[in-house]
Amino acid sequence: MTKVKEKTVSILVNNKPDVLARIAGVFSLRSFNIESISANITKDPRMTKIILTTRGNQVNLDKIEKQINNLVDIVQVNDLTKIPSVRREMLLIRLKVSKENQKRVSQTIEKLEGKVLSKEGGSWIVEITGDADDIVNIIDQFEKFGMDDFTRTGTIALEQIHP
Amino acid sequence: METIGADIIVKILQEEGVDAIFGYPGANSLPLNDRLLDSPIRHYLTRHEQAAAHAADGYARATGKVGVCLSTSGPGATNLVTGIATAFMDSSPIVALTAQVNTSLLGQDAFQETDIIGITMPITKHSFQVNDINNLSYALKQAFHLAGTGRPGPVVVDLPRDILAAKCKCPNEPYENLAEVSAKDIDDPEQLEKIAKALDQSERPVLILGGGVKLSGADNEIRVLVEKAKIPFVTTMMGIGSISAGNGYDFGFIGTHGYELANRMVHQSDFILAVGTRFSDRSTSITHEFAPMATIAQIDIDPTSIGKNIKVDLPFIGDIKETVTALLPMVSFKERTQWLARTKNEKTDYHEKNPDNGCGPAGHLIRSIQNQMPAGTIAVADVGLNQIWTVRTWQTGAARNLITSGGMGTMGFSLPAAIGAKVGMPDRDVVVITGDGGFYMNIQELATISYYNFPLKIVVINNGHLGMIRQMQDLFYGSRFTTCELGNRVDLVAVARGFGIEGRRVLIDEDPKEGIDEMSRVNGPYLLEVMVDPESYVYPIIPPGRSNVEMIFGKAV
Repeated sequence: MTKVKEKTVSILVNNKPDVLARIAGVFSLRSFNIESISANITKDPRMTKIILTTRGNQVNLDKIEKQINNLVDIVQVNDLTKIPSVRREMLLIRLKVSKENQKRVSQTIEKLEGKVLSKEGGSWIVEITGDADDIVNIIDQFEKFGMDDFTRTGTIALEQIHP
Repeated sequence: METIGADIIVKILQEEGVDAIFGYPGANSLPLNDRLLDSPIRHYLTRHEQAAAHAADGYARATGKVGVCLSTSGPGATNLVTGIATAFMDSSPIVALTAQVNTSLLGQDAFQETDIIGITMPITKHSFQVNDINNLSYALKQAFHLAGTGRPGPVVVDLPRDILAAKCKCPNEPYENLAEVSAKDIDDPEQLEKIAKALDQSERPVLILGGGVKLSGADNEIRVLVEKAKIPFVTTMMGIGSISAGNGYDFGFIGTHGYELANRMVHQSDFILAVGTRFSDRSTSITHEFAPMATIAQIDIDPTSIGKNIKVDLPFIGDIKETVTALLPMVSFKERTQWLARTKNEKTDYHEKNPDNGCGPAGHLIRSIQNQMPAGTIAVADVGLNQIWTVRTWQTGAARNLITSGGMGTMGFSLPAAIGAKVGMPDRDVVVITGDGGFYMNIQELATISYYNFPLKIVVINNGHLGMIRQMQDLFYGSRFTTCELGNRVDLVAVARGFGIEGRRVLIDEDPKEGIDEMSRVNGPYLLEVMVDPESYVYPIIPPGRSNVEMIFGKAV
């Protein structure tokens, strides 16, 4: 069996309505799942940068990269798994906080360099950033404090030097 | 008259050299149909939109220019889909113009609204929905550019009715910065030298020519390469006729219905140079047993076609004509006496043992037709037994005189595609070779042919069956025949006559010469119905799941 690998790509695209559908089509054609995706405009507002993570064997991942590169509105594709880059995601997590656990929750948030954004009726919303593995660990840690729900942004990433 | 969106379209079509459009109108396309009336562009009304798309495709395949079809929104647009997919699979350049409901109605399930951009996304090279009159000229220019350059393919331009009717000024500025695909990779002369070296060092090289060779117009460069390095060549089905077969290096086409010797040579080779082919499963059968001893080099303009289906040792991305021109001086003159003698002997042997090349009486029929028709006649084959009989028999003297749906295998393709071929090449004779099954699928086009008096010669090889299905059920499903019989109660000559087309029925076993003679003499369209035994199959064939060297020559007992 071929090894399953994770791939993070940075895709610079023309900021048009159907570009995302075309990229998604490349994945669905080969039954590949997009694990996470995040997108926003760049310093040139006519362009959008999409950071996308996926998993699969290397051969198929390379084929997908080629297919994406072949789409008309794609400006550039960089495989961030092959280029030194910083990869982060953001977690918004809602915790049920009581008098009993409040101190320990606060300590944990402080240790993880989190930020409390909202405190409403015993529900706290905390913002924390980290790489994908950190985020999984953080969710695990909060599980025991009555973690209510969370939202992850998906990975965003930037090459360490200009590619 | 005030200038409207439709005028911009007419202007750009003319700038792009479009002389013919195949289409079918509807309420939403009328602003454009109306303005086409005053232009020199001829609009041919087919009897079904699917036929319009195939006709545009046939036009493109026969001429090398971009073919154009036009439909209304909704069902008009969806009826084009099979034709667009057919063009996509064989890299045929067409621009499909689809009318759309007014922009204010988009997304409201308006009458005859359909999301044709969404529907065609996986079967187009690119597509545009024009929602702003200011983007119309750019989108159209871009559509023609994308369809015809790089690896050609279909492009859809969806045109809401209010955009077609919007008042505007005709643009006069030049169009710059048209986007390219397949042009992002740089050429690499070192890689070409590696390919040349591997070719020089090989003892049993084989060249595989795909449909890309004729798309690139590289027939002459490839012929020089073949004769300089003395490399025998095989083709894919789409590559048939890429270069003239007359120089003795041609060993036929590979794959499921290909030549046994061609498949065996690829299997035995130590070096393969594949040019303009994606190694489709029809050519390779099971990939891990394909060319097991060979180092494989591949040249293609489309990066996604490289390594798509098999592992390639020496890839090169580039236009075939340019690449082979650059490769030629790097390659040495070679004799390869042993390899050539061996392959040529086997070829002579094969043709002595298989006088009709495995096509039986149908092969004889098709050869007689070609002999009787003028040189340069274009054959348009349908899909099924008739297709394999035709591609194995028709002698292609030029790159674009055999047209068939290879990748998609679209039954019903031949009749409308022949209309397009004839419109594109009015001075050439065009023969349709179809089975009864494929003929029924676009039989309404007899009305188009009759109306415009296109002098097409239509040969229906009628075995009363879906012949290839019958053959597969006979060979691989224990002769349990189901859903393959069409019957023979239909008098196709009477049907043709009803459409105003002359014809005659002949039996293949008695001499069909009289019918062929009459067909070649008649000035207008003509239908020749040739009755064939349903057990007349095509051999050899590769059973499903087997490799290219496991061809069978008859029914296992």
